[in-house]
Amino acid sequence: MSGREFALAAVILAGSALAQTSKYTPPRTPDGQPDLQGVWTNITITPLERPANLAGKEFFTAAEARQYEKDTVERNNADRRDGGAQADLSRAYNDAWYDRGTRVVETLRTSLIIDPPDGHIPRRGDQPAGPPPGLGRPPEGPEDRALTERCILWPTAGPPMMPSFYNNNYQIVQGPGYVTILVEMIHDARVIPLDGPRDVRPHIDANVRQWMGDPRGHWEGNTLVVETTNFNDKTRFQRAGPNMRLVERFTRTAPDTIMYEFTVTDPSAFTKHWTGQIPMKRTEGPIIEYACNEGNYAMEGMLAGARADEKKAAGK
Amino acid sequence: MRKSLTLFSTAAAAVVCISLTLTPGKAQAPAAPAKAVAKAVAKGPRMPDGRPNLNGVWEYIGTANWDIQDHSPAPGPMWQLGAIGAIPAGQGVVEGNEIPYKPAALEKKKQNKASAPAEDPEAKCYMPGIPRATYMPFPFQIIQSNKDILMAYEYASANRLINMGKPIEAGSDTWMGTSNGHWEGDTLVVDVTGLNGLAWFDRAGNWASDKVHVVERYKRRSNDVMDYEATIDDPSVFTRPWKISLPLYKRAEKNAQILEFKCVEFAEELLYGKYKKQPTK
Repeated sequence: MSGREFALAAVILAGSALAQTSKYTPPRTPDGQPDLQGVWTNITITPLERPANLAGKEFFTAAEARQYEKDTVERNNADRRDGGAQADLSRAYNDAWYDRGTRVVETLRTSLIIDPPDGHIPRRGDQPAGPPPGLGRPPEGPEDRALTERCILWPTAGPPMMPSFYNNNYQIVQGPGYVTILVEMIHDARVIPLDGPRDVRPHIDANVRQWMGDPRGHWEGNTLVVETTNFNDKTRFQRAGPNMRLVERFTRTAPDTIMYEFTVTDPSAFTKHWTGQIPMKRTEGPIIEYACNEGNYAMEGMLAGARADEKKAAGK
Repeated sequence: MRKSLTLFSTAAAAVVCISLTLTPGKAQAPAAPAKAVAKAVAKGPRMPDGRPNLNGVWEYIGTANWDIQDHSPAPGPMWQLGAIGAIPAGQGVVEGNEIPYKPAALEKKKQNKASAPAEDPEAKCYMPGIPRATYMPFPFQIIQSNKDILMAYEYASANRLINMGKPIEAGSDTWMGTSNGHWEGDTLVVDVTGLNGLAWFDRAGNWASDKVHVVERYKRRSNDVMDYEATIDDPSVFTRPWKISLPLYKRAEKNAQILEFKCVEFAEELLYGKYKKQPTK
């Protein structure tokens, strides 16, 4: 057993058993893979971490879930006009754009994190939880804005693939020896080579670093297991470092559901590994091209605005 | 009109394009071999359903991304790069070497070229469009399923899904267009509409408008080589349809894979440099 396989096995043993006990037998592709193909969405309003007022409560009752949904949808409503001029301005990006969803996950969990059981990321005490330095000040250059606003990487692509505030859409296409995930935001294609019993493809060299890492997949029964390493030092998922090891598990548990689980390991940022779970539900296609950089007029506007403010402040 | 093409009219248009391209003068010679090629059985691996298996990492070798037409070597746009940035000579990939521009369209091509490289969408890390994505100096991977086909290009993380089911209409214009594919014998034929006309064909500023209709043909010649053709029809820019043809080579490294080239980072100075805070003098 190689080091990579050993680490993988350790994470898998620690993972959730829910997906592994699924009774559903998915159809197969012609080359014998469980068939995950189709268009899927991970849209949900369930937060990654458990809200403070739900501490100790792992699951909603059905009635509590409906109330939480009602409250959240009302709070997220960007079409409201009850907050004065400044609030109106910040809601100019209104619900014509947003598509955050209106429902919690069907498991009725109160957080996407299922391990640790408290629903919180086990951050090391010496790691700050806030945004990276530079973010928040008037931007001196594009580097002072988030990766999303720079059209470099969205949480929807990750990996791990997290729901965001719109276009949470994916299409899975399986060819012989590959599973590929087309991610609508922002036109990313995750090409995952599959290891066979006698055909294990090592990761690319540690000197090659990628925003989305370097994935390798294999099947364990009906579960696709994808292990990703080789992240660069700028992806920083939840402040993880470039040595983050990610293991994702995709299990089709029903015709219209893929249970997606991910386990993050990085001793430089977390005291232990942690796991999230998001059901992906079948939805309608097609996936539409999201040309982010090609239409990023906002970046020009934000930078030009910051320069205009400086000029004004200098009294020129 | 362009967006409401049915499969029938699309296929008919493709046939018309090809016959138009092959009929006049110089282009007449390939007509007979082309017919023979259409009948020939493709070499290389097969899918479980018997279709040619196009899976793999592919790349064009040549200088078409500099200029799809025949061209001599020339100094590059950045003298600071010396010979590194110079333009290599190239034998074009346009059949007959002539792009039949209407006069005003040729003027725009010249303007494009004069504005390069700053205004070349490639420099801005914009998606390359079709057919340029195919002959960029980057590999791309074909993932062929029993249903649809995904083409994932290394450059700019561009990609496109080729719908192999019931043809869909282009919902709105996009950089990579809307692709409907079908098989004609052993040839994968992809009908591309809904292109936004903002991508260029090369660094020399060759272009088409948002009225362009591209029909591509992929046919595996052997284990290692695939023939690629693209017929380009845009009556608002060209006097007749014209055709690109080139070979794609299979990347034969055991560990061949497309890597990341998320180039936005590398284009930010070009795109936004003038809006950045300047150091105090």
